Amino acid sequence: MATRVVVDPVTRIEGHLRVEAMLDSDNKVHEALSSGTMWRGIEVILKGRDPRDAWAFAERICGVCTTVHALASVRSVENAVGITVPKVAEIVRNIMFLTQMVQDHVIHFYHLHALDWVDVVSALSADPAATATLAQQVSPHWPKSSEGYFRDTAATLKKFVESGQLGLFANAYWGHPAYKLPPEANLMAVAHYLEALKWQKELIKIHTVFGGKNPHPNYLVGGMPCSIDLQSDNAINIERLELVRAKILEARDIVEQLYVPDLLAIASFYKDWAAIGEGLGSYMCYGDVPQNGIGDPAHFRFPRGAILHKNLGEVLPVDPTHGDEILEEVGRSWYRYPEGKAALHPWEGHTEAHYTGPKPPYEHLDENGAYSWLKTPRWKGNPVEVGPLARMLVGYASGRADFKAVVDGALGKLGVPATALFSTLGRTAARGLESQLAVGWLQDEYDRLIEALKGGDNNTADTIRWEPATWPKDCKGFGFTEAPRGALGHWIHIQDGKIANYQCVVPTTWNASPKDAQGRRGAYESALIGTPMADPQKPVEILRTIHSFDPCLACASH
Amino acid sequence: MSQITAPYAAAPAEPIFKQELVWQWPIRLFHWLNALAFVVLFLTGLYISDPIFSPAGEAYGNQTMGYVRMTHFIAAAVFTVGFFWRICWFWLGNRYARSGFPYVWRARWWRNLVRQTWDYLRLDFGHVHMGHNALAGLAYTLVPVIGGWVMILTGLALFGQSNPDGFWDSLCGWVIPMLGGGLRTHMWHHLVAWLFLVFAIVHVYIVVLDGTQQRNGLISSMISGRKFYPADEKPGSHDED
Amino acid sequence: MADSLLSSPGLTTYDILSRHGVSRRDFLSFCAITAASLGLEAQQVPAVVEALETKPRLPVIWLHGLECTCCSESFIRSSHPIAQDVVLNMISLDYDDTLQAAAGHQVEQIRKDLIEQAKRGETEYVLAVEGNAPTKDGGVYCTVAGETFLDVLRETAEHAKFVIAWGSCACNGCVQAAAPNPTGARPVHECITGKPIVKVPGCPPIAEVMTGVLTYVLTFGRLPELDRVGRPKMFYKQRLHDKCLRRSFFDAGQFVESWDDDGARKGWCLYKMGCRGPTTYNSCATFKWNGGVSWPIGSGHGCIGCSEENFWDDGPFYSRLAKTPLPGIEATPQKVGIALTAAAGVGIAAHLAALAIKRGRAAATENKAKEA
Ligand code: HEM
Ligand code: HEM
Ligand code: NFV
Ligand code: SF4
Ligand code: SF4
Ligand code: F3S
Ligand SMILES: [Mg+2]
Repeated sequence: MATRVVVDPVTRIEGHLRVEAMLDSDNKVHEALSSGTMWRGIEVILKGRDPRDAWAFAERICGVCTTVHALASVRSVENAVGITVPKVAEIVRNIMFLTQMVQDHVIHFYHLHALDWVDVVSALSADPAATATLAQQVSPHWPKSSEGYFRDTAATLKKFVESGQLGLFANAYWGHPAYKLPPEANLMAVAHYLEALKWQKELIKIHTVFGGKNPHPNYLVGGMPCSIDLQSDNAINIERLELVRAKILEARDIVEQLYVPDLLAIASFYKDWAAIGEGLGSYMCYGDVPQNGIGDPAHFRFPRGAILHKNLGEVLPVDPTHGDEILEEVGRSWYRYPEGKAALHPWEGHTEAHYTGPKPPYEHLDENGAYSWLKTPRWKGNPVEVGPLARMLVGYASGRADFKAVVDGALGKLGVPATALFSTLGRTAARGLESQLAVGWLQDEYDRLIEALKGGDNNTADTIRWEPATWPKDCKGFGFTEAPRGALGHWIHIQDGKIANYQCVVPTTWNASPKDAQGRRGAYESALIGTPMADPQKPVEILRTIHSFDPCLACASH
Repeated sequence: MSQITAPYAAAPAEPIFKQELVWQWPIRLFHWLNALAFVVLFLTGLYISDPIFSPAGEAYGNQTMGYVRMTHFIAAAVFTVGFFWRICWFWLGNRYARSGFPYVWRARWWRNLVRQTWDYLRLDFGHVHMGHNALAGLAYTLVPVIGGWVMILTGLALFGQSNPDGFWDSLCGWVIPMLGGGLRTHMWHHLVAWLFLVFAIVHVYIVVLDGTQQRNGLISSMISGRKFYPADEKPGSHDED
Repeated sequence: MADSLLSSPGLTTYDILSRHGVSRRDFLSFCAITAASLGLEAQQVPAVVEALETKPRLPVIWLHGLECTCCSESFIRSSHPIAQDVVLNMISLDYDDTLQAAAGHQVEQIRKDLIEQAKRGETEYVLAVEGNAPTKDGGVYCTVAGETFLDVLRETAEHAKFVIAWGSCACNGCVQAAAPNPTGARPVHECITGKPIVKVPGCPPIAEVMTGVLTYVLTFGRLPELDRVGRPKMFYKQRLHDKCLRRSFFDAGQFVESWDDDGARKGWCLYKMGCRGPTTYNSCATFKWNGGVSWPIGSGHGCIGCSEENFWDDGPFYSRLAKTPLPGIEATPQKVGIALTAAAGVGIAAHLAALAIKRGRAAATENKAKEA
């Protein structure tokens, strides 16, 4: 009799995700349901509003990837009404974008994902001296690797556990056979969990400088709201820019000396996970970090393109504004489309809730009916995976030297072939590698900013089309970005200066979507197929693969 | 009650108009302070709402918005004191001080209202009152009285925002959550300001129209306090109040 | 309730700090900084010292409803005290689906156990709520472990000592409750009854305000003094407008007229760009954000009033006034006022014209009569 494992809530993610996995007699997953169990209706709420306000609403789709929805939103409006943002504003946006990506990835790795691989209780038996030796091997330049440092961490942990109040660590899967790290590696990871927790709030100060706060920094249709004037003490001046520079340097240290070394060290104990969780093998990204305006994808640092069926020999062109490249279905979701429509391009998109699931409280979802608040997006009919792995593969397959260097470097260090990328481990590694690229680009973008300012260009906003009266009566726009979790698109339709329709297709919508009309699974569901479970009561393996996508369900259903 | 005789010598000694002191001095004083306060409040209010001119130079050399707001608050004080004073005078004053008030439970008031409205619509100004007619009374109750409450309560609540737990905040601060927040309170304060303007325009028009058409000395009555009525009128044919 | 609240077993903050190598002097300065960030007087520092020295960690259940998780994100950005100290030393974050190591029924079990223990009087816990509950269609728009969030919220609140409403979602409904509120999202105080609630609004609230509220509760064992709408006065007492660096430009009448104009670069007031500072109560102007680096107005964008109720529906954000509630038309009071004034003008003109025609006719009749 097949076992049905229900994981709800899936924790250490953003939002409300439920996974139901059907196991074979050998405890391998043979069927899976990924269900978003929360919906707020932001697309519905946006209708009829001033498009210049949309970024703030859209930004509240998610506070974890805060910023990216705001960015996609202002870009969609600018695209619709024909605004080209000034170069300096674009660079500032790039800096904020890359900052968010690095910060989000570090938090994901240490605070959301690490406990799938790191056994906190095993860390209690670590020898601080041996841990120091290990840490110095893993990252020779990282300053905090003394024995005393690890002794303190071990003491904190011990007292914490002895207090009897385990808080966040209670009832977890400690001692589960799937945990493979030696105690010293566990202790090192726990120390760095705390280290990263302290640091993440530092990097994000870059957002505070330009956007006034984080989470949810401010954006502006037409540019950025912050004025830059090196002479003024009431605008972004050299003191503020120095702060930005210092934080970028810190970020480089954290990524290169903490995150990536830890990642590779932990990965080296879990190479079996390079053969688990492959998923779709098809990938897509829109690209981002423009160097010559958002209208020129050829000069993006993250290239645009798609890869189908693991064919790294060909990167296919993607055009999200084309009438039928991207279509969303709702056949297995709790929505209703107008009579006779099965799939819609987001510009024609329709969001109308129509719950047909079981009446709560319920035990199981109906695997033959609709089972999620996520829609089902498809690219040219294909389910595709989006996210760091997609970006790294598209960059790699496009022959970009910077991508090749980091990817080949990591594969070499781990001693695994390129096919290892198509896996749970590959996904997790791609996130670290892309952070490596991102910190480098952060510095480049900062340099570009200073260069522009030196040249006397400090214009941050184009206000010629600020007033809705200057806009076309009826226009459509597409705004996009490469959010930490993947390709994010906002499609807007503006009529008489008001939002007539607003549709978001979000990274986690792609990855966590329910099945399509042809019964094809999305990335989460297909990546779970074949996953072996040591103990169906303790779903660590499911968590590993699901977490490798870095789920964000508030994003996904919006 | 005094009488005047026609100004030309050859005229008969019979009086043509009789006059009566209708508006006692507190009403007149209130009226003109109120009118002045309103004009100042409206103009400064509009500037506060949309400060169209910006002074050049350093901030420390300028206080434009500061002065405009201060003026608004001084006028608001005049307006508020006058308002409550006039309410007291409703009982303290002569019977005209209560005239026109919507005594909705009295059939006479309703008759009067219909009659006055009908008169205006068919452009007939033959009908005489000494105090406020019912239509005027209704208008005064709706805008200067009810609207006045709104302006004073919202105004004081907004005023109190800068000093939480201070006197004004404690007295009127409850208004803000009741209206759904500070921004909505501003909105109501602003919207009702325009109702005052509309009232003032129509009011002055009707006063001038009535005064010139009836030649009852209406306009000057708010200065002298006296109103005229035809001496040959049958007693009791004009409204008592 | 002061002492009983904190009666569960465990080590105190001081125990833990001292055992991981923090000296008593460091500990005292930690307390002083914490007290200062709470806006407490110097003579109240000993209370903080005492609390952290003698009281075990405070059990907290942190629920997530309809929300964006930004309040959690904000929380972990706290500088004084830092999130690590709060979670390791001050509170026992026993249930929080965003950060919890366990998942699924293991994590739900923790919540159920705590509720059971509280029922039996063996422990007490504080309920912190991020987000709010959809109430339409039986609450199907948010479920956790197959139960509606509305039920989870009510069940957990029933035995909580008191409730902390994190962020504008929990306090006012926030973005998902904006018109037309498709899911019937309702703030926490409209979903539960009979529990003291402290509202900590903001979208999200400032990190130090969040940790500050927790520190206060831990220190004094009771909720801080609340204002008229249930927010702690210590953090929400003052309008941003009264603490704003740009205020001198407001008083001077110097305003940014369009984005990135000369005034913007000089730091002039953002009032005409729609700044909600004059009607917004929050600590942004005092604490600023992310360890005091800046705040929205400091970085050139007006406040959108994110800690005030209805702020999403009082837009557009770039217009100074809320729209009038007149059904069907979307207009500012200025527009309505000008239209009304124009209508009055037209009415008067028509009345005068009618009068002139009537007089003309009367005169003509009179003339005719004379001629006849
Ligand atoms: C040149 C301008 C004005 C003139 C000649 C004028 C004249 C008058 C007259 C003759 C009355 C008595 C009318 C009646 O019998 O019903 C009156 C009453 C009144 N007027 Fe005016 N008015 C002027 C402007 C204003 C303004 C600007 C306001 C304020 C918004 C105002 C508010 C009132 C009020 C509230 C009353 C009722 C007085 C009471 O019962 O205490 N007036 N006005
Ligand atoms: C008929 C009487 C009044 C009129 C026509 C009037 C008009 C106005 C207008 C148009 C505004 C601008 C509102 C906005 O756009 O935000 C305003 C603001 C204000 N008024 Fe009045 N007002 C009146 C009475 C009062 C009273 C009695 C007070 C009591 C103190 C008051 C206090 C205020 C305050 C505090 C503000 C806001 C100023 C600021 O935000 O800087 N007003 N008024
Ligand atoms: N999925 C997603 Fe996001 C991201 N990254 C959005 O675009 O997380 Ni909240
Ligand atoms: S209050 Fe704002 S920041 Fe907090 S969860 Fe709600 S939408 Fe997000
Ligand atoms: S910027 Fe905003 S808060 Fe600051 S003074 Fe101007 S209106 Fe007030
Ligand atoms: S938008 Fe919110 S963050 Fe502060 S400045 Fe305004 S209250
Ligand atoms: Mg969508």
